[in-house]
Amino acid sequence: MMEMFQEWYDSRHEYVKEWKKKNKNGRVMGYFCTYVPEEILYAANILPVRILGSHEPQDVTEPHIFGMYCPFCRDCLAQGLKGRYDYLDGVMIAQSCIHIRQAFTSWQLHVPVSYSYYLSMPHNLQSKHARPYLAGELAAFKKSIEEWTGEKISDAKLDEGIELMNKNRRLSKQIYETRKADNPPLTGLEAMYLAVSSQMVDKKEHSQAMEAALKKLPTRKLDRETGARLMIIGSEDDDTEFLKMVESVGATFVIDDHCTGTRYFWNEARKEKDRLASIANRYIDRPACPTKDWPDRTRLPHILKLAKDYNVQGAIIMQQKFCDPHELDTPAIQNMLKENNIPTLFLEFDVTVPIGQFKTRVEAFLEMIGEEDLF
Amino acid sequence: MITAGIDMGAKTIKVVILKDNKIVAQSIILGGFDQRTAAEKIFSEALEKAKLTRNDIEDITATGMGKKEIYMHPPISANNEITEVSADSRGATYLFPSARTVIDVGAEEGRGIKCDDKGKVIDFAVNEKCAAGAGSFTEAVARALEVKVEEIGDLSLQSKEAVAMNAQCAVFAESEVVSLVHAKTSKADIARAVHDAIASRISSMVKRIGSEKEVCPIGGAAKNKGFVDSLKRALELDKLLIPEEPEFVGAIGAALISAKNK
Repeated sequence: MMEMFQEWYDSRHEYVKEWKKKNKNGRVMGYFCTYVPEEILYAANILPVRILGSHEPQDVTEPHIFGMYCPFCRDCLAQGLKGRYDYLDGVMIAQSCIHIRQAFTSWQLHVPVSYSYYLSMPHNLQSKHARPYLAGELAAFKKSIEEWTGEKISDAKLDEGIELMNKNRRLSKQIYETRKADNPPLTGLEAMYLAVSSQMVDKKEHSQAMEAALKKLPTRKLDRETGARLMIIGSEDDDTEFLKMVESVGATFVIDDHCTGTRYFWNEARKEKDRLASIANRYIDRPACPTKDWPDRTRLPHILKLAKDYNVQGAIIMQQKFCDPHELDTPAIQNMLKENNIPTLFLEFDVTVPIGQFKTRVEAFLEMIGEEDLF
Repeated sequence: MITAGIDMGAKTIKVVILKDNKIVAQSIILGGFDQRTAAEKIFSEALEKAKLTRNDIEDITATGMGKKEIYMHPPISANNEITEVSADSRGATYLFPSARTVIDVGAEEGRGIKCDDKGKVIDFAVNEKCAAGAGSFTEAVARALEVKVEEIGDLSLQSKEAVAMNAQCAVFAESEVVSLVHAKTSKADIARAVHDAIASRISSMVKRIGSEKEVCPIGGAAKNKGFVDSLKRALELDKLLIPEEPEFVGAIGAALISAKNK
């Protein structure tokens, strides 16, 4: 029952091509950041598909993105340059960091699509002007989509979009909640496939698969010991190889703070008369990306609460190489967790990682936090 | 009680046999391409030295990068495995009970470990994707200077002038050495520049985990007087706790963990 999510993840492109065959009037929008309001896209019968990398060495982005930009944004652009997303009708981004924006603008230039949009998502979410500002930007975006498709987006359609997204968020969270158990019924790797695939397939189908999974999870048992309960913290992360390795040496990831994970689905849009205001509030209130978490670091209490609720023994901080916003948060996160007796292991990731070196460090970390008395 | 620790390092394999926590034999060999065969050979040699047979050894712990080669694999069949970090920490605090920071510079990896009075690891850092903080860097430079690696330490102590090494990468640093040679810089000054560069890399890594005063450098590089001298300067310490045979510390730690296991 959990296999479906991995299947979707592995055959993401084939899935969308099939989707297009079945939805003759539907369009597909590739997006670069989870601040993109998918509610509005679903309301317009557009399938939002997150553009992610493929974790392979590549040699096509060098002329377009400077070497000091993060390997993730280069990996994303490489997918476009290699023609793997040739089924997209449009691409869009909501402003988060300049690295991924560079991937977006290069895509606009070099991977032609009929529609592209830059959504000016505000940075200072803590300003009182952020909410009306974003609501205004969402209105402009909605208008642009209406012009593209030639169809008005009614409030009823927006309600459908909001409910579709909310339901998917609610179910994701319910499945994540089962990991609070002493012996979680799913691995961190399975949870990763679940969350990331939700960004690649039709939410309707994805929610159905989660509903089916939720029925079976209460009686499901993993075929191994839980081991050390770990949290993983960082930017986007779909490094399945790394999770697999860690979970093979005596540990289980029970919770994450990733924009491919909990930050994506943790909160819902509330019912409000003004639908766009409701959507704007949802994105302002979601667990923040570090590019938008200033002057207060709202991430800190949020991460600590997750760590406590899920009873974690240690946290792995995965630092995407050259991701300055996350790097800037790391000392504060490490200090806070340390004060709460949660040791951390800091690892710098590239899109391809030498798993052997990481394995030694992860094993040493597990020995360090382990209960067993080696000494 | 008789136990053994086998450290399957990137370059060399070290075996230590302990009887009631006292070292009765130790041996070292180049790992080469076939690490398993090399390990079997050196393990037999250590057994011979100690006048023991495999059956006399009650518990064996494997450590180091190649530990899987002998873990549960006959004829050695190590019954326990542990990372280098834990083994180093345990070994160093056995030799120097006051040691609170262990610096292990091996062939391919540099490690800094912070530990408590029982040798339990509190925190650690390992060099990442870079050989500029590891022993193989010294070897490469020795080759470029046409001196034996055993001599580069003494050579560096004769240095009269500190020369800065600017490259951060071992491969680029090697070409920088060539430039220094062309600029008629003395071999001694170049040797010191290289040791200073490695020491600076290692000390900045150790500072990340918080360095204590009682520092024990181990691994092959700790035999290099020039490197040790540079490390003292980098850490601003007059004295370091240097084991007589620093390469064996990980294997000693592994053997001690075996003893605790029983």
